[in-house]
Amino acid sequence: MPIEITMPRLSDTMEVGTILHWHVQVGDEVSSGDLLADIETDKATMELQSFDDGLVESLTVAVGEQVDVGTLIATLLEEGAAASTESSPAPEEKHEANTQPAQKPIAGGARVSPVARRLAEEHRIDLSTVQGSGPSGRIIKRDILQLVATTSETTSAAQTTQISATEVVATSAPVSPAQPVKQVQALAPTSPWQQDRTEPLSNMRQIIAKRLVESKQTIPHYQVTMDFDMDPLIEMRKTLNEQLASASVKLSVNDFLVRCCALAMSTNPAFNASFGGDCILYHGPVNVGIAIALPEERGGGLVVATIRNADQKSLRTISQESAYLSNKARETGLAPDEMGDTTFTISNLGMFGVDNFTAIINPPNSAILAVGAAIEKPVVRGGELAVGREMSATLSLDHRVIDGAMAAMYLKTLKELIENPASLLV
Amino acid sequence: MMAVATAERVIEFRDALNEAMSEEMRKDNRVYLLGEEVAEYNGAYKVSKGMLDEFGARRVIDTPISESGFAGMAIGSAMRGLRPIVEFMSWSFSLVAADPILNNAPKMLYMSGGQFGCPIVFRGNDGAGGQLASTHSWCVESMYANVPGLKMAIPYDAYDAKGLLKTAIQDDNPVFFLESERLLSTTGHVPVEEYTIPFGQALTRRSGTDCTIISFGRPLHFCLEAADELAKEGIECEVIDGRTIRPLDIDSMVASVKKTNACVVVDQSWSFASVGSEIASQIHACCFDDLDNHVFRVHSDDVPTPYAHNLEQAYLPNSRKICEAVRQATYNA
Repeated sequence: MPIEITMPRLSDTMEVGTILHWHVQVGDEVSSGDLLADIETDKATMELQSFDDGLVESLTVAVGEQVDVGTLIATLLEEGAAASTESSPAPEEKHEANTQPAQKPIAGGARVSPVARRLAEEHRIDLSTVQGSGPSGRIIKRDILQLVATTSETTSAAQTTQISATEVVATSAPVSPAQPVKQVQALAPTSPWQQDRTEPLSNMRQIIAKRLVESKQTIPHYQVTMDFDMDPLIEMRKTLNEQLASASVKLSVNDFLVRCCALAMSTNPAFNASFGGDCILYHGPVNVGIAIALPEERGGGLVVATIRNADQKSLRTISQESAYLSNKARETGLAPDEMGDTTFTISNLGMFGVDNFTAIINPPNSAILAVGAAIEKPVVRGGELAVGREMSATLSLDHRVIDGAMAAMYLKTLKELIENPASLLV
Repeated sequence: MMAVATAERVIEFRDALNEAMSEEMRKDNRVYLLGEEVAEYNGAYKVSKGMLDEFGARRVIDTPISESGFAGMAIGSAMRGLRPIVEFMSWSFSLVAADPILNNAPKMLYMSGGQFGCPIVFRGNDGAGGQLASTHSWCVESMYANVPGLKMAIPYDAYDAKGLLKTAIQDDNPVFFLESERLLSTTGHVPVEEYTIPFGQALTRRSGTDCTIISFGRPLHFCLEAADELAKEGIECEVIDGRTIRPLDIDSMVASVKKTNACVVVDQSWSFASVGSEIASQIHACCFDDLDNHVFRVHSDDVPTPYAHNLEQAYLPNSRKICEAVRQATYNA
């Protein structure tokens, strides 16, 4: 009885995974803990280790192929059962039988003759839309040229009023099949720097697109904004950072906000909850997510790092964890347990000079706080006009869980914490 | 009328070879011919007809049946300043002389640090002559072209036979000149005026847009036959005559493949480690992004040359095989 290995769920948002590399081949002996494959999830590249000892009987998913969580990706023969391989079909045959999806054109993985690939680039044709007529579905020169011919035929037919019937028949009847699945872009001659281009979505971009559309379409969003007097907090931060510099403590404004939001969540439990369809799920742990933009050279996009039990952690711990996670996210990427299970998210664009903005809720959270910069501006303090530093923050809320008054109450709690920061220390 | 007749002078391939040698011998008295039956018998294939009469026994020398001996002697004379032409009755027999012609002549200039060159031409019939069986039907080009230091030319018709042989005789390096018994009686236009054909310049024998066929010597006739056949099916082939294997005019071949995006190499030697595989490899490297399919190759079958007429015809890189390869290369199979 072979051991079935399926695509594991490596993060709480993972629905599909891509095999980037198989570290084993059919026939290899593996022990528990051995590296089997590298798997690209929605947000990270993970190593898949074997939980069992055995002989690799089949690899059923090809490198580059994306499959749903739970899909069979490999089978192992248990130790001692190896003898039964002789009576069962050869692993190679099984492997072949299971890799037939390679026959169908996959974007990026399709079989394309080199000149067809070059012509497609020149004519800006998306190869994933082309059906190949060569062996094993290989896309060949003829397929691209026919596509170009039919496209320019369509264009010129639209422009030309007089065109003989024989001409149309002669040029629009392809000799062999090459149907575009989608409309090919018009081939208007433009300078290279004016030309449109398409880039396939990265896994991360796909998940961002899917989840945020889902969020915006299913969650009844509304926003509540409040301004905060940041002078006391900034003063305290300055003092703490000066006095603790020798201990390598460097607290950011965001670290304070994480602690403030977490404390406010524990006294406003609806902010630590999820909409459950026919119920509201109140979470035990208070896990605050921090949105981190990834650098362009790592493909851009963003991840949300998790500060677990943030209400129980000191500013120093939050600061250390936050710095560690930001660096790791930008440099090598986060592990699933470093970015799942958030119950609330903070998105801070203050460091970019943004005054205020609104954010889209990160499901299954019920709220997200969009934080602007602390800006010097004229303020009235005790009847006097003065210069003070104020920060604007906007909550986006799921109205199914949190009503307006509850949002106001949360912001009030937040305001008390931010403007009286001593309570964050003790 | 006379002028037209002169311009259209048509002679046999063997006479073109004769003219090339005779003209060069008249110009340069260091040039001489030696080989089996080249003098008294006027050449086993009548290539040297009349040359003994014109140049005398000192410059047109009959040798014993001892390829290693007379090839080695000729190489020695070349090192000492003469410019011999060695006729092998068949290139098959040159295998006996492998050490002098492959292991010495091409390396002489290098090994002597430039002191001794080896201006020599080895010439004779290459390939299946027609029911000569496996030991007399050698195509030596793949095996011999492997050696650096030599040049190798394979003429397709009478015009090239004369022009390339004159270049070979004038060249200061050992030149392997591969003729075909099957072509000696073919006729072609050869002008009276003196001309030579430089080495390393391929010639387009037929222009086309759909597939490049590259070949040398006798198989080019099969290629052109196949191109006619394929044209009836709407496949237009461009047939490139490489003319010389060393130096190889890969640039012309690449230019053609960049245009057609498909390539078939036709080489009468066996396929394994051959001139055909070398050209295919270079085309793959130079035209990677221009190919619509991998380069296809047509060779003689991977068996000793059969004696039986029907089997020999089936064994050769014939037009049927070339048509099949072109159809496959262009996805018309």
